[in-house]
Amino acid sequence: MVAEEGRKLYLKIDATDRMKQLMTEYYIDAKGAEGTDRPICWITSGGPVEFLIAMDVIPIYPENHGAMCGASKMGVQLAEVAEGLGFSGDLCSYARLDIGSAITHGGPIGGLPRPDFLLCCNNICGTVQKWYEELARYFEVPMFLMDTPFIHKTTYEHATEYVRKQCLELVAFLEEQTGREFSLERFAEVAMLSVEGIELWKEVLKTAEHRPSPLTCFDAFIHMALIVTLRGTPEVVEYYRLLKGEMEKRIENGISAVPEEKHRLIWDNIPIWFEMRNLGQLFARNNTCLVADTYTTAWAIDIKIDDPLTSMADAYTGIYLNISIDLMFEKLLALIERFSADGVVMHSNRSCKPYSLGQYDLARMVTERTGKPVLMIEADMTDSRAYSEAQVRDRVEAFIESFP
Amino acid sequence: MRKGRVDKDEVSRLSVDVLSRLQDLTGDPYSYARAWKGRTGGKVMGFYCHYAPEEIIHAAGALPVRITGENRVISDSGAHLQSYCCSLARTGLDMALGGDLDVLDGTVFVHTCDTMQRLSDIWRLDAGFDAHFDVVLPGRMEGDSSREYLYQELGSFRDRTGEYLGPVDDEALKRSIGIHNRNRVLLEEMYRLRRQDPGVLPSDEVLMVVAASAIMDKEEHNALLEELLGTLETRLSGGGPPPQSSLCKGEEKEEKIRLFGIGSVMDQWEFLRMVEDAGGTIVDDDFCTGHRCAGAVAPEGPDPIESITARIWDGALCPCKHAMSRDRAGYLLERITGSGAKGVLFFQFKFCEPHAFDYPHVKKALDEHGIPSLHLEIEQGSVSIPRLRTRVEALLETMRGA
Repeated sequence: MVAEEGRKLYLKIDATDRMKQLMTEYYIDAKGAEGTDRPICWITSGGPVEFLIAMDVIPIYPENHGAMCGASKMGVQLAEVAEGLGFSGDLCSYARLDIGSAITHGGPIGGLPRPDFLLCCNNICGTVQKWYEELARYFEVPMFLMDTPFIHKTTYEHATEYVRKQCLELVAFLEEQTGREFSLERFAEVAMLSVEGIELWKEVLKTAEHRPSPLTCFDAFIHMALIVTLRGTPEVVEYYRLLKGEMEKRIENGISAVPEEKHRLIWDNIPIWFEMRNLGQLFARNNTCLVADTYTTAWAIDIKIDDPLTSMADAYTGIYLNISIDLMFEKLLALIERFSADGVVMHSNRSCKPYSLGQYDLARMVTERTGKPVLMIEADMTDSRAYSEAQVRDRVEAFIESFP
Repeated sequence: MRKGRVDKDEVSRLSVDVLSRLQDLTGDPYSYARAWKGRTGGKVMGFYCHYAPEEIIHAAGALPVRITGENRVISDSGAHLQSYCCSLARTGLDMALGGDLDVLDGTVFVHTCDTMQRLSDIWRLDAGFDAHFDVVLPGRMEGDSSREYLYQELGSFRDRTGEYLGPVDDEALKRSIGIHNRNRVLLEEMYRLRRQDPGVLPSDEVLMVVAASAIMDKEEHNALLEELLGTLETRLSGGGPPPQSSLCKGEEKEEKIRLFGIGSVMDQWEFLRMVEDAGGTIVDDDFCTGHRCAGAVAPEGPDPIESITARIWDGALCPCKHAMSRDRAGYLLERITGSGAKGVLFFQFKFCEPHAFDYPHVKKALDEHGIPSLHLEIEQGSVSIPRLRTRVEALLETMRGA
């Protein structure tokens, strides 16, 4: 049953070195900008970064940093700093560790550069709204909240109009903060690069439709860093072209991400960052490839160049976490079909209520509609204290054994 | 125990009657709705959040009834909501799935936190009520575009509910606004009299009065409030005996320590009675089932949706709402000082993110102003009064010593 020999369980993606180089350059550059006249803005992962890029503002993503801290197994020690200040241990662990890191400059890169202002978009959760309010108080900097009304059934015209108006307010906010003038031409250029990057990212993910798949969602979790942080720049476009080429070559040469791919699954929710490597190997050892996920596709948004503001308002409002369970189900169903998946693994993530509450219903809907099984794993994206490795291993193995 | 009709001259017995009625109402909140439905044939609409535009529901001829979960052990909702979800959502859904809310024809969910947002989906998909509405209020409560959006969303809700409950015309809505404004003014007056002398009515009864306003017909509640306020005014002028349930022990009656309550839903009557017994009283609060339901009225004008917009916009803010120009700690400090409270009780639900995020900031401000406080975190269904009592007594003792 269990494949150990033959080939290494994890096949390194060559492009990774380039990505690491780009991310290192990005962080070195951003940290170097602290205290200079180059403005730094902390932004949420679902935020409209194109505006910042177009205004030459350096975007910093506490969530990306949270993932780094989690993957370096430094999440708990940083979260404990915030807990010592009275922040409940039940709060989002990204927020806790970020507050801890802001205070202690702790973490794998010695903390993030101080923000000059904050851009928070509540399309991913209401948590970021509260978290950024705390950051605004701590750093004593202004905060702009992009408020994207949740979509339960349909999008209303007045909601789109509200978000579109806020795009203009954001422009005014950025002009005030930077003392620079917003250029629509420059913005269109950035939006175009953003769209190009997003399209290439979608094509990278699409290569996993091939059986056997050249990449797993664990690869996607790592390689998404650039589409999240730097979309709208030429480097991102260049990078995903490289990555896509490598994946296509793998397909040509019959190389699969998992040595002997027998089963294909979809991952739901944010990764368990501190456990990625182990989980990746666990599934690979059991000849199972996680071919797609609901997380990395969240950045595959559509922006139309002819009307970037309105289409951005729609795109940022309509992302996966800002829609109802039944609308999420349609997207999940499409992933299962498109990637010929045999089942779904759901990470019930204590830290993320909009992602996790509703998963029990989603799981039932998936099984009822497709007959395919769903495995629920209880964990947290960066707080390892609530995680039982042995229990998860047993459950994963039992789940995979149930496949014919 | 319900009393019969009481002679108007017997002030003290009148208050006993009102209060026993309140206890009946809050002890079994949905029996009132059942009786109302039987009597009027109207529709009953449930809602969770104090931001729900009750006026619109009322104007359509329906009875808005608040859902606040209850102290119960979860059974059915465990299959829909994880254990790290707050008990307000878990017990409320459990009630809905278990048939305890069968009197409801539909539910109105207002956008507040991530949990309520997902609960709305699950409720709509699983609870099986006839109608389901979402009022997606803005998360940001400052800036013209947010206010304009709020106005549009309320108008959209009026149209959408109209399709189910029957159209709501301006005149009906204006009349409802008047009734609801009256209710808020009377509740505010009750809070004012209590600040003047907390001995006039114990805090559990104050919060029961507010809770009753969210489950009964507003005009009926207004009449009840008018009676009650009459009694309180008589008491304040020394004209009547003290309230029945805050018995003073002989001559050695000691002034109770004034506390301010911070939290969301507060309907733990036993807890509140314990605080009173321990020698404290919550003289004022920022509970969303408390003082946040009083105060801000809808300015009456030609456009009733504009009136409701103004009420919600200018009213007390829930921690779910964002407005950097309205610092929560500063706001609470002002309220605490104004109430004469010498200490603060944070009474919060486990897993409630908006309140938990604000706590360190508010606590720091209290510490800086030398205001002692106690942070209590509870889950409905596992509230241990003896354990809480020890902590409340410790706070009160410290305060007496200070």
